[in-house]
Amino acid sequence: MNQRENFFAMLEGKKPEFIPNMMELYKICILGAERADEPIVSGRDVFGVNWIVTKEGAMPEPNNFMFEDIADWKEHVHFPDVDSLGIEEAAKIEMTDVNRDDVIVNVYSPCGLFERLAAFMGFENTLCSLVEDPDSCREFFEAFADYKIACFNRYIDTYQPDVITYLDDLATANGLFMSPAVYRSVIKPAHQRIVDAVTSRGVIFAQHTCGKCEKLMEDYVEMGVKIWSSAQIINDLEGVMEKYQGRLIVEGGWDTSGPASYIGASTEEVIAETIRCAKQYGKYGNFILMPSLLTENGNSLLVGDPRLGPMIEAWHEVDKL
Amino acid sequence: MSKIQEVKELVEAGKSKKIAVAVQEALDAGGQPGEILQAMVDSMSVVGDKFSAGEIFVPEMLIAAKAMSKGVDVLKPLMTGDNSASLGTCVIGTVAGDLHDIGKNLVSMMIESAGFTVVDLGVDVSAEKFVAAIKENENVTLVACSGLLTTTMPALKEAVATIKASGLTGFKVIVGGAPVTPEFAAEIGADGYAADAGSASVKAKELVK
Repeated sequence: MNQRENFFAMLEGKKPEFIPNMMELYKICILGAERADEPIVSGRDVFGVNWIVTKEGAMPEPNNFMFEDIADWKEHVHFPDVDSLGIEEAAKIEMTDVNRDDVIVNVYSPCGLFERLAAFMGFENTLCSLVEDPDSCREFFEAFADYKIACFNRYIDTYQPDVITYLDDLATANGLFMSPAVYRSVIKPAHQRIVDAVTSRGVIFAQHTCGKCEKLMEDYVEMGVKIWSSAQIINDLEGVMEKYQGRLIVEGGWDTSGPASYIGASTEEVIAETIRCAKQYGKYGNFILMPSLLTENGNSLLVGDPRLGPMIEAWHEVDKL
Repeated sequence: MSKIQEVKELVEAGKSKKIAVAVQEALDAGGQPGEILQAMVDSMSVVGDKFSAGEIFVPEMLIAAKAMSKGVDVLKPLMTGDNSASLGTCVIGTVAGDLHDIGKNLVSMMIESAGFTVVDLGVDVSAEKFVAAIKENENVTLVACSGLLTTTMPALKEAVATIKASGLTGFKVIVGGAPVTPEFAAEIGADGYAADAGSASVKAKELVK
């Protein structure tokens, strides 16, 4: 089986031949989202939010809020015309020379419902609003879901992706930001519409949520999410893989707070972590490795890293199932 | 229910729109400002414990802190010059190279609610800036350094080392953030570590006693 055949076998709950490594599995596309959601260089996004991009990633400028009261969102939020974003051009650039017979085309869409509201008004204001003015939050989330859906339809038309990965970090290292009840009542209805819009067009929906978010897995699976990514080890990954075998793929596994993720981690430490992931999670048959290697210059997957070669070599010695 | 008890319950429930009236009523009923403030501090302690135990989540903790802050606004003019309930000044910031402020802000709110005067240096704070703030502010009893990224753990180490090597005394240093463990905190010479905002306020009080 090649990467693509192996991936679909896993998705359908059949036995894959090997454990995929996301570095080899996907053609990840980010340029559409760069125009629609968050920039990859410092500056304002299409909504006017100022982003600061460091070697660790992008984030809205701290303490620079567009509004602080959710009841005011309509005065400040103006949705761009999707035709004006240039998604077609982005797709043309990114899809040149992609071998669709082998890899899985995965379009990333950062800044989901919760993160977008936090980009506008900061995390504290957003979190307070969820419980103090849930009606205005719901109204905002529904409107933003309409925008996301319009963008996703355009991605599907132009990229013809296999997977869309929707990123929304709803949790800290200790647990969910908000109670499951608040998520279900205020965010989930709009989130469900986004999932439906993608899956109804035959595209696989991947949900990226960092942190300890396992309490939402039942919701995600029930909503039609097929891949949970950046699955961090603060969650009971084996429990999740066992419970949702054939229904959910867990992509992650890397100890993002452990020694292999420290700056200056040795090649031996990186290889040891790679082997641990394969041995501990591979046997469940619904696991994709998502390594998280960082250097002084940023994410190794983007800036290169001499440890990647030996890591992949070591992976291929242990990835067979 | 006594008026002070009512204030306690309103803080715990995060009822910031009702708290100012309740505090004023407690004062009108003969309550002393210090006594009312202590009741709110006790309430926030309960909120912190519930958060650490996973019984409540960040929004509930935030709205409780917001309610307390509005209650304190009513008491402030009556307590000028009375520092008897103060635990001193806490200088807090996210270390150099790290722009994450959520965890730091939550700790800041809980520490303020516990009775500290908070000087928040923001994000991307150099070790030297921490030292300068300790010198510039009166009665610094606590310095809190936060870091979310594994890549900024060396900056956390540098901040603690620089603060300790500055020769300044009279305060303790507490560290926290997603990749930080009690072992790492001890290894870099911090006096304390907390896993979340609720336990940070407990640890802070314990350290400055």
